[in-house]
Order: sequence, then C-alpha cells, then structure tokens
Amino acid sequence: MTTDTTTSEGRAAGGWDWNWIDFAERFGLVIAWAALIAVFGAIAPNTFLTWPNFSTIFGSQAVLVVVTLGIIIPLTAGDFDVSIANVMTLSSMIAGVLNVQYQVPIGWAILAAIGAGVLVGFVNGFFITVFRIHSLIVTLGTGTFVHGVTLWISDSMTISGISMNLVKYVMIERLFGIPLAFYYAVAVCAAIYYVFEFTAVGRRILFVGRGREVARLSGIRVNRVRWGCLMASSFLGATAGVMYAGTTGAADPVSGLSYMLPAFAAAFLGATSVIPGRFNPLGAMLAVYFLVTGITGLTMLGISTFVHELFYGGALVIAVTLSQLVSGRQERF
Amino acid sequence: MRLFGFMSALALVSGALTPAAAEDLDYFKKQLDPFRDKPGFTAPGEPFDAKACMQDKKILTIPITSTNPFNQNIHRGMEKAAAAVGFELVQWENQGQPTQWVQGMNHAINQKFDLIDLVGGTDPRVLVPQVEAAKAAGIPVVASHYSGLEQEVPNATHAVPIDYFKAGQLLVDWAVVETGGKLNALLMYTTGPLSTDSMMAGIDAELAKCPDCKVTKKNILVTDWATRTQPTVQAALLADPSINYVIVMYDSMSQFVVPAIEIVGARERAPIVTFNGTDFVIGFVQEGKVAMDIGENLDWVGYAIMDAEMRIVCGLEPVKDPKIPFYLFTKENAKDAGTPPQPSMGYGAAYVDGYLELWGVK
Repeated sequence: MTTDTTTSEGRAAGGWDWNWIDFAERFGLVIAWAALIAVFGAIAPNTFLTWPNFSTIFGSQAVLVVVTLGIIIPLTAGDFDVSIANVMTLSSMIAGVLNVQYQVPIGWAILAAIGAGVLVGFVNGFFITVFRIHSLIVTLGTGTFVHGVTLWISDSMTISGISMNLVKYVMIERLFGIPLAFYYAVAVCAAIYYVFEFTAVGRRILFVGRGREVARLSGIRVNRVRWGCLMASSFLGATAGVMYAGTTGAADPVSGLSYMLPAFAAAFLGATSVIPGRFNPLGAMLAVYFLVTGITGLTMLGISTFVHELFYGGALVIAVTLSQLVSGRQERF
Repeated sequence: MRLFGFMSALALVSGALTPAAAEDLDYFKKQLDPFRDKPGFTAPGEPFDAKACMQDKKILTIPITSTNPFNQNIHRGMEKAAAAVGFELVQWENQGQPTQWVQGMNHAINQKFDLIDLVGGTDPRVLVPQVEAAKAAGIPVVASHYSGLEQEVPNATHAVPIDYFKAGQLLVDWAVVETGGKLNALLMYTTGPLSTDSMMAGIDAELAKCPDCKVTKKNILVTDWATRTQPTVQAALLADPSINYVIVMYDSMSQFVVPAIEIVGARERAPIVTFNGTDFVIGFVQEGKVAMDIGENLDWVGYAIMDAEMRIVCGLEPVKDPKIPFYLFTKENAKDAGTPPQPSMGYGAAYVDGYLELWGVK
C-alpha cells in the first residue's frame, strides 16, 4: 500500500519550509537527467550538445513515450497490460496492409487500426473482469494471439510504401525543429495528467489500484474502471502503432515487440519521480527521455552495446532503490 | 507376389544407377566444384587512390543490431580496411530497434557524414523519411550485405549485394548429389530479409532441374527461432519419414535444428546443409552434426563493403558485384577454420593484399 504521507506532511508541518528530501525525491530524475546531459555534453560537445541531436531524441522516441503512457493507465488501476506492444505492432500492420495492399485512404486505415486496438482492449477487459483472471495471464495470451494475427495479415513480411501523408504529419513536419510526433506524445501526457489529477475518473482509477475492495465498498464500479483502463491502454498502444508506421514509413511484424521491456522500465522508473510512489505521466515521460538520453550519449561515444544494457537495468534498479531509501517507505511497488 | 516385389525393388535400384541418372547428377556436382577450392581474390573494379580521395571523409555504419557476432565480424573487417586507408568509420551501436536506426540516420545527417551504410539487414524500407532526408542532404545510403545480385533494394541509393541466388542453388546442388537425385528435403527458412527472396528463387530454380526431388517448406521468423524451430523440425521429420535432407537457409538456425534431429534419431537419415559459415556451425560440421556449411568470409565481406563504398564516396563507378566468394566447409576441410573454429579462418588471406594493392596503400 502506498501513501503520499511524506509529501503532505512536509508541506503541512513546514508551510514554506524547504523539504530537501521531498524535493530530491520529486525531481531527482530531472537532476540526474541534467547531470547526464552535462557529462555527455562535456565529453562530446560538438555531437551530443546540439539541437538536432535533442530534436532527434525527442522525435524518434515519441512512440516509446506513448506506449509507456499506455502502460501506466492499467498499472494505476492495478492491472498489467503486456499485450500493448503486440497491439502496437498489429495497429501499424493494419494501417500498412490496408493502405498499401488494399489502397484504403490512410485516414480510414488509421481508424481501422485504432479500432482493432480498442477491440483488443475490450477483449482483455472482458476476460479479466468477467472471468476474474489475472491481467498478466490474459494480456499475455491475447498479446500472443494478436501477434499471430499480425503475422497472418502481413504474411510475415515488411510492408513499405505507407502514405507519405502519415509520414509527413508524424516525422517530417516540425515545430521548433522537433518532429510533430513529440507533440502528440506531449498531448497524450497532458491529457492523462489532467484526467489523473483533476477529474473524478482519475481519482477512481487511483482508488481501484490502491484497494479494490475498499473502492468497491465506496461505491466505485471497480470492474468498469478496470475495463476502461485496459481499453484506454490498448487505444494508446494502437495510437503508438500508427505513429510507429509514420516514423518509419513502413510496418514490420516483429520489431515493435522490443518496446515492451523499455516501456515497463520507464513506467516504473517514472513512478519514482514527480509524484513519487505513483505511476504518473510526467514521471513516465521524463524516465523515457532520461533512459534514451543515456543510451544516445553512450552510442555517440561508441560505447559497446553491453554498456547500454548495464545502464538501462542499473538506472532502473538504482533509481527505485534510492527512492525507497530517501523516503523510507515500504512496499511501494 | 514376393517375386513381383523383389523385381520391383531390383528395377528401382537399377534405375537409380542408370547412366542417365549419373549424367543428371553430373550437372549438380559441377555446380559445387568451383567452391571446393580456397577462394582467390578477384578485383571488383579498377584500382584507385583511396588514401587521396578518402582524406577527411567519414562513413557511418548502422548494423541491424550490434549484438550479433555476424555483424561484429563484418565490422571488424571494415575497421581494418578503414584504418589501412586512413578515414573515419563510426558504428552506430544499437539493439535492433528501428527507432534506434532512425536516430543513427539523423545523427549521420546532422554530423554531415559522407555516406551511410545500412549493413547486414538494416532495412531501408522502414527508414523512408530518413533516407529521403539523407538524399536531400546529398548523402548516399547504401544497403550492404542485404540483397542478391539480381535484386533492387527499395529506398536505398546503392547496394553492396551478395550472390544469394547462387547460395540457394548450392544448397540444393549439395543435397541432390548426396541423395543420388532422390531428394526429399525439409527447408527451414525465414521471411523478412530481401536475401531470403533471392535464396528462395535460387533453391526453386535448382529444384526445378531435379524431377524426382521434392521439398517441404517451413517458415520461422528470427524472433521465433529459439521457441518454434525445434518442435517444427521434429514434427516434420516424424510426419514424413522419407525426408532425407534438412536445408537450413541461415546457419545460426542450426543450433535449434540439430537437437530436433538428434531427438528424432534422424542424423543418418536427414543430414543438414546450410549457409553463412558462422564459426559455431563450422564446429557442428567438425562434429558431424552438419554435413556442409557454405561459408562466406565476414572479414572479406567487410573489406568488400568498404571497397564498394569508398568508390561511391570517391565518385567512381559503383560496384555491381563485389566478388565476395563462397567456400564449402565439409568434414574434410572444416578443421582449417581452427579448433574451435575462429571467425574468417580457413579461407586463405589472398583478399587482404589484393584490396590493399587495389587501393594503392601497399
């Protein structure tokens, strides 16, 4: 059980008193990110410390941000959705197959792709809430099933030649030098932040995640909330798939699956920041860019790939551990 | 009835040994012969002064993933070539995610590299906007070791091809000869890479020349190799006891095929023939688990890619055939690759001096 007691107590007791522990906990990841940028910037100022490099980081990893944001919705309600990467791959493939092989206009192809994603979320919710099966098992099964569908409709082939209109509005068009994909991710992040922090729905999701029985006794329709969260997650997975197709200009049946672990790593890392102890969209987005900045810096320095893995895994474990030590909380995740 | 059966069997045996059948097999044997000797160096183009024209030039290479030995061995060859000529070669380390390739492409454009090399499977078809941006910046995008000689690579400005069609033909040639023209093969392949299409065309073309041969094809994606290959091979061998050869398109898949054959007890009945010359599979050849592996020297491949790409950067006529040879590793010569086998060993070293002289650095 997680509580926000440290934060609220600090404020209540101290008024304007500066609470270093609270500050370090909330913005530790931001500080670490800045430190990372400073280190890589000092080592490779001409390559790393350039706006084109940061615009590339922001633009190319927007897909991962959306997948991570999708994951944190059911996580907040206490459910895992491990089918999201499969939904993402299915969505990009549906958009590709319809647009390239059946000459369906890209707008309709996108709608079909997102509709298919939402359908998967509906099926997930159905089995999880109606038959009371653990979300991990159901989404593992549906994810595998969805992967089979993806291979079937694509004949296990890469589909290239997707409408340049999609590519244009995801990757080519830029604002302040950053591809539009980044701003879509920011918009999704802002929307989730608003729902989580300022609406009754957001509070209900949180209550359901913290204690299903208590939430039920409080009059919250727990199953409906969980079902909705799973559908929202799949919706964002499908949206990420469309963005993925726009980022690469093609759809392939397997590479999207590699997003699963980085997305979960970022979700858990993000939960140590901004609103510590809670899955939150700002923290998740920060975590994605913290991890990607580290990987990009290491890549530019020509550091071997195994160091990337050390960084990824090490950053996650160290961040979560430090957060526990600073706050002294128990059983946060 | 017994007499009839005996006569039929006799007819079958004598039929298999008729001069006509032997002549038919001669064709397949002749296809294999040129690849049994250590490969010699053939210059892929005219000599040129590489040191002069590559001065201050830099090439970024984006492998399909930095984590497989295949790509790393090619890269080592490329590094040696770049060091000999004296220009900057940078590898964009990645773990096979297309968005990491996107970052690499953007990095090359931002840092004004002179050429981008998509090596060993990095798919230019999933980098449409980035290739367009590179073209707009005047940077050639080369897909190397990805397509066959007869294939066009969509969305790349140039290619450094491999004769995958021939490799596919050689797989069938070997199996036909070994089965006396009565091949019933299980073909394990992987869709996705362009090279598969080229190899499959070569396999089909050669099978068409063998009227008594047949094949059962099974497609397993790379990501499913570890989990799906073994049960698929086991089931196929059990379902059809007359399968007498297993053709494995890419040899790294063999590590999952070998245990399947061992479990079914079919090592004698269905030997493996495969392609790539990966060192651990040559080890399998030494142990008798694989009958033949068509090898390509990855160090040589690295030099050949650099040769082709330097010509592009220097504004010379692009190479259509980089002349990267194959060599058949069998039980007889597999020990030349070392014990345990080492990457790029067993092919001879004629190519190193050949390229250095071609570039005017020796």
